[in-house]
Amino acid sequence: MANQQTSLDTVFHALADPTRRAVIGRLLGGAAPVKRLAEPFAMGLPAFMKHLSVLETSGLIRSEKAGRVRTCHLNADRLAAAEDWLSEQRAIWQGRTNRLAAFVESQNPPTK
Amino acid sequence: MTNPSELTISRLIAAPPAVVWNAWSMPENLEKWWIPAPIECRVDTLDLRPGGGFVTRMREEGAADFQPHVDGCFLDVVPEQKIVFTTVLTEGWQPADPWLALTAILTFEPQDGGTLYAARVLHKNPGDSSKHLELGFHEGWGTAIAQLAELTER
Repeated sequence: MANQQTSLDTVFHALADPTRRAVIGRLLGGAAPVKRLAEPFAMGLPAFMKHLSVLETSGLIRSEKAGRVRTCHLNADRLAAAEDWLSEQRAIWQGRTNRLAAFVESQNPPTK
Repeated sequence: MTNPSELTISRLIAAPPAVVWNAWSMPENLEKWWIPAPIECRVDTLDLRPGGGFVTRMREEGAADFQPHVDGCFLDVVPEQKIVFTTVLTEGWQPADPWLALTAILTFEPQDGGTLYAARVLHKNPGDSSKHLELGFHEGWGTAIAQLAELTER
């Protein structure tokens, strides 16, 4: 859970792009090989792979290679975490505030 | 009634406002807490005046490149008291179409020898957000996830 909060910023960043949202939408219907995922998009495979790498880094998808075929799967729990976006925004700001406090208080130890 | 797209976080920090302000106003300090570790934060622009740019970037562990994070504009700055920034504008009041539109109002109030730090963050009404609609956030999204979870757990 703590780990999930850590990466929420990256989840929202990953969902910020229309191509990446379309990939997520496609994977809601089930796992798919990279080649087939890339078909609807008017971009080269290297550019598309970059999008996949952002999605994978965010934890929204995972992929595995079997022979020469790489198949992508959706991580539904990570998507569910992003679903209630306002509570996730709250978690981001709460985390930020806690880290600010920890940073300041480590710089400025209270005098007993 | 609170606005459903607004949130407020507040916390008492055991240091005077001047010290908390320094954690916000110096790039090398901001980088240390703005984004959770192990993601690396780089502050590209921190021009603390109305119209000044606010640009931070982030880098995942093991990634070569920094990715965009925040690209915004300061609206109001009162040293040791208040910072207001928005992502709806970038440096010099330039209108932008950010992936997450927000205005953040951060206040630093002296209290009991420390600082009451508060962040009030305003968003667009989620119901108006085409980005969330596009994702299907309001139409059976939960059902789709539940179904998928069922499928994957079999």
